[in-house]
Amino acid sequence: MARTAPGEGPARTLALHPARAGVARAYAPVLVIAILLAGVPLAVGDNRFYMTLAINGLTFAAYAVAFNLLFGATNQLFLCLGALAGVSAYGSSILGNEFGWPLALTIPIGVLAAAGLGGLFSWVAVRRRLDVIFIGIVTLAFTLMFTNMLQGFSALTGGETGLRIDAGEGTFLRSSVAFYALMVVVVCGFLTVYRLLERSHHGWAFRALTDDQLAAELAGVDVARYRITAGVIAGAMLGLTGALYAAHEGFVSPRTFDFGDVDVRTLVMLAFGGIGTMTGPVVGAAAVTVIDLFLRPLGQLRLLVYGVLLIGLFLGFRRGLVPAVTGAVSRLVAGRARAG
Amino acid sequence: MIAILLDGLAFGLQLSMLAVGLTLIYGLGGVLNLAHGQFAVAGGIVGALLIGRGAGVAVGIVAALGVAALLAAIVDVSLMRPVYRLTGERRVLLSLLVTLGIAFVIEGYLFANHAAVSFNLSVPGPVVRILGVGMRRNALVAAAIAIVTLGVLIVFLRTTRLGRAIRSIIQDEDGARLVGIDPGRVRSLVFVLSGLLAGLFAVAEAFNSSVGPDRARLFTILALIVTVVGGLGSVSGALVAGLLLGVTYVTAQFLVGSFLTYVILLLAAVVIILVRPSGLLGRAH
Repeated sequence: MARTAPGEGPARTLALHPARAGVARAYAPVLVIAILLAGVPLAVGDNRFYMTLAINGLTFAAYAVAFNLLFGATNQLFLCLGALAGVSAYGSSILGNEFGWPLALTIPIGVLAAAGLGGLFSWVAVRRRLDVIFIGIVTLAFTLMFTNMLQGFSALTGGETGLRIDAGEGTFLRSSVAFYALMVVVVCGFLTVYRLLERSHHGWAFRALTDDQLAAELAGVDVARYRITAGVIAGAMLGLTGALYAAHEGFVSPRTFDFGDVDVRTLVMLAFGGIGTMTGPVVGAAAVTVIDLFLRPLGQLRLLVYGVLLIGLFLGFRRGLVPAVTGAVSRLVAGRARAG
Repeated sequence: MIAILLDGLAFGLQLSMLAVGLTLIYGLGGVLNLAHGQFAVAGGIVGALLIGRGAGVAVGIVAALGVAALLAAIVDVSLMRPVYRLTGERRVLLSLLVTLGIAFVIEGYLFANHAAVSFNLSVPGPVVRILGVGMRRNALVAAAIAIVTLGVLIVFLRTTRLGRAIRSIIQDEDGARLVGIDPGRVRSLVFVLSGLLAGLFAVAEAFNSSVGPDRARLFTILALIVTVVGGLGSVSGALVAGLLLGVTYVTAQFLVGSFLTYVILLLAAVVIILVRPSGLLGRAH
């Protein structure tokens, strides 16, 4: 799988020599995304159906940015996105319900727990020198354990029926437009963190280690440190997203963080948008959310369509939508320049 | 105690049978098939539909095996071709993503059209006593299918020309090429063999409990875990891992019961992977 998009090539070389113009150019996409996302409530108004859909899409965009940091930037196939978000969501909800602690306290605890677990998985993988497949299996096992624990400790988690959350009742978190705005800030914040990492010395290390890990190590890149950093930050992102979404819904159930519904969907979105590109996760999340809307009448056949999409994406446009479009645009521009 | 051991071994044999197909195609093609459980279920559903329309049980079983093998053959000659063009880790990764898509296609189709169909087989009769322990006839049939399948497979790999060719490619693809073996052709044959094994698992599982669309994902995940624990590409590793995890599962079921059983099974798998990243009998890489 090619992770370095040709369309982004020049921008990346520029990023290595940060200049004022480079900074503007690097963060401009975040601003553009923020403006576009802010336009959604203006376009659909306070429509309950569309706002629910939009919030769902943003939540997945946030998951996808975190997954991109893991899989796209540091080649760690974490198959426990839903579980990490769920640990934080369930953790913060249970603390709030049982002890009456405020969200301002419980959400950071949930985020810390998810960040700790993310870092732990990366650390274990690095220490045991696990291949990308093995990280996948170990984290998948964690996901399955998490799901089983939810069923097992049903006195605490509500089991299959789920858990009602008291905290956040009557605050802006339960409203649609205000919460949407918060999620726009969160997603853009995540994108900024991603770009910051990409532009820092972490960035060239990330690129080196996805291209050729052995060569990166030989060149003195501390592969372990960068992987663990990515694991901790992505864990925190997943934890924050999960806990906020739970507080918004006022309800969590095993379905909310189901492997098929969260991990696989996020993977499809990232594949769609473009693995290893900054805007890919958001573009992919938006595209899949819209496609989903049109596929809704198909019912169970939706799964089939996603399967075809996944196969087509990985065999056909292996680089995803964003690199394909930027590549086409730059070819077009180059062609015009030659013609003129 | 003997009851636990027998139950565990019977379950373990089933797991081994499921995993062996996966490990063989990894050993030969360097690919992982996430649609393995879906192949098994698709075969089972076709068998169930035929039996439901009045066909004999034998026809249903043959159809189940045939469909699973045919699906594997189709996937090998079509969608896996571009995957084989890559090498090493990239090939494994692309195979994972493509076969995940295939799994969705099969599952989506089955859920949309035959969600309530399930493949059930049974032999009537009283409980059979083995070593003083009562065993269900159906469980024994399932175990017998697994034992015969695995036995035949081992004899095939050890004694026949094709079997030796397969093992030589697993050990050293370039070497095999040098002595005139065509890895591509053997790989296709093994893909079909792995589909056949998935079909046989479906038949055994149809005796043991039932095979419906909702179980496909579980089958794939179990196959994947047993394969990795045993060592990717190692047939004897898959055997040992299946038996070990089977006995662990049944013992845990006896000691703690209910949901924790799965957690213990998974923990055991994770611990083995972390202690021996190349698997129980896998080669270090």
